[in-house]
Amino acid sequence: MKLFVQIGDREYPLEIIEEKGQRKVLLDGEPFGIDYREADSLGQVIVMHAGRSYGLSIEGDPQRAHVTLAGYSYALTMEDERERAASLAAKEALGGGGPLEATMPGIVVEVLVQEGDRVQAGQPLLILEAMKMQNEIVASGDGVVDRIAVRAGETVPSGHVLIVLRGPEAE
Amino acid sequence: MFRRILIANRGEIALRIIRTAREMGIECVAVYSDADATALHTRMAHIAVPLHGTTPTESYLDMDKILAAARDTGAEAIHPGYGFLSENAEFARRVKDAGIAWIGPPTDAITVMGDKISSRRAMQAAGVPCVPGLTDPVDDAKAAIVAAESIGYPIAIKAAAGGGGKGIRIVREPDEMASAFRTASGEALSSFGDGRLYLERYLDRPRHIEIQVLFDQHGNGVHLFERECSIQRRHQKLVEEAPSSILDEATREAMGQVALQAAHAVQYEGAGTVEFLWSGGEFFFLEMNTRLQVEHPVTEMITGVDLVQEQILVAAGQPLRLRQEDLRISGHSIEVRINAEDPSAGYLPSTGTLHNLRAPGGPWVRLDTAMYRHMEVGLTYDPMLGKLIVWGPDRVAAIERMKRAIAEMNVGGVRTSLPAALQVLEHERFVSGDFDTHFLESLTIEPPQEYEELVAVAAALFRHGAIRRRTMDAQAAARTDWKERGRRDVSAFAKRRLDRGELS
Repeated sequence: MKLFVQIGDREYPLEIIEEKGQRKVLLDGEPFGIDYREADSLGQVIVMHAGRSYGLSIEGDPQRAHVTLAGYSYALTMEDERERAASLAAKEALGGGGPLEATMPGIVVEVLVQEGDRVQAGQPLLILEAMKMQNEIVASGDGVVDRIAVRAGETVPSGHVLIVLRGPEAE
Repeated sequence: MFRRILIANRGEIALRIIRTAREMGIECVAVYSDADATALHTRMAHIAVPLHGTTPTESYLDMDKILAAARDTGAEAIHPGYGFLSENAEFARRVKDAGIAWIGPPTDAITVMGDKISSRRAMQAAGVPCVPGLTDPVDDAKAAIVAAESIGYPIAIKAAAGGGGKGIRIVREPDEMASAFRTASGEALSSFGDGRLYLERYLDRPRHIEIQVLFDQHGNGVHLFERECSIQRRHQKLVEEAPSSILDEATREAMGQVALQAAHAVQYEGAGTVEFLWSGGEFFFLEMNTRLQVEHPVTEMITGVDLVQEQILVAAGQPLRLRQEDLRISGHSIEVRINAEDPSAGYLPSTGTLHNLRAPGGPWVRLDTAMYRHMEVGLTYDPMLGKLIVWGPDRVAAIERMKRAIAEMNVGGVRTSLPAALQVLEHERFVSGDFDTHFLESLTIEPPQEYEELVAVAAALFRHGAIRRRTMDAQAAARTDWKERGRRDVSAFAKRRLDRGELS
């Protein structure tokens, strides 16, 4: 199985191969020696690599995770080939638009637009209350409101999709 | 001595107080909001009284409810901790009027020190050096420009009722005054309901150094040396240490004496902290915090004094057991705050459920926290989840010990400030002591690239295993599927908030 792991602006193309009960990992097409064990099913992981031992903690979901290693915290996203194809197709279909995500956890105070509304870059789309302040979430570009994923009163975690815009290239 | 005290607080500070009280044979009454029904402080206390309500205003800030809880349980004293009602003079007065001892300073001291202008006036009268500036608020930008001539640029405009960095503007030239004055006044009005502003000299490369003092009810007082808290962001401290790496013995002694002078001037009782700004060898009074500070453990570590115990003894009327000449600095201590925030994303708050929790251990490592596994971290309360404190025979040893302890610690389920603290401790400017209160702001928090390949491979294998488990065994998948687990927690969290009427 092929997987693309993104950390910051760097991408790590990986392949996990299982044959005769043996698991092999290729990074950038090259074998990557690793002894991998899970201490529990909650993301406590022990790995041996190049003669050294590491304890990691992995949190998140299959697409987005945070890994803690020796006090450092890594944010990463993962896609397999199918997910990559789907996300590329979605990007194309949205024609330069895309999902607007909550940059911080908060409460949706008010949604200012409706699905199908034509909006301009910078136009306020909804109000998100976070850190005791009301923040206007504005359109990243001109387009049409494709989907509203939240409603007023809803609590959203950081990274939650709020609104999906369809860009002008999709029309 | 008291037989029973009430702790009008929550979180790690409630636990901190309960621990000492238990060691003194005193029973503890905890109070808790609906959101804190399973919190550790309700379990560690002898008696737990529900306040009901969820928001601070409905619970930990509701004086009537807390006084009723104290009366109902026969508590003889109230410890307010920090935050909430700890610096509320009206509450202190009502506690005493109810015949209950107040584990804190006299109400007049709280009132005078609680206002920037009145405290400055009192300190100038007492001969305490203050930052050059005005004692009275200025009316408008024109008056501010006139006043600025005698103070000298750069000028800091500050809100009279201020705190937390709100309503502060730096003015380097007279022609910047008008717009800075207008925005600062607006911010002060909206944040504190009080638009009054005053001016003072802005100090370049300042360091935040504070002195711990302790006074009894009989006029005896000692200082317990300094804490350096220059590693801060928007006036929120992240790393604190004692002693400071920049003070020489003479300055330390001078600061201690000035802090005692400041406390004497307001007839102080109990534990308090006199904060100074240090710049180029000079130091100036900033403010006095009339309560126990978050960072008090570093002082405890270098002096061997349990500050909470001393607070309780003072409130019970006992004369101070400590004499200045007996107090010594032993070694070095560092504290790191564990906040639920993402330092690599602008320190935005982070919420979630603490799935994983691993505490560091080993010699001279102290963890003051109210975290527990499966605890929900929301937005209702302060994002500080706890504090990690270490001691070492010298500063280098303490830094190495803290780095080691942070590497052992894991708080899974929310982002925390720990990686930011680790990056500070690894930075050569911190190690060499060459920093000021702007240092933390200048850092971009990002993990080292050297582990990225390993992290990417491990995460991929974890995902691979999780997905395979789901296809092979539907029941096991229900237990182990991390995506579903996360979703459930978020929606359950939202539902509880709805049930509590917090969302409409």
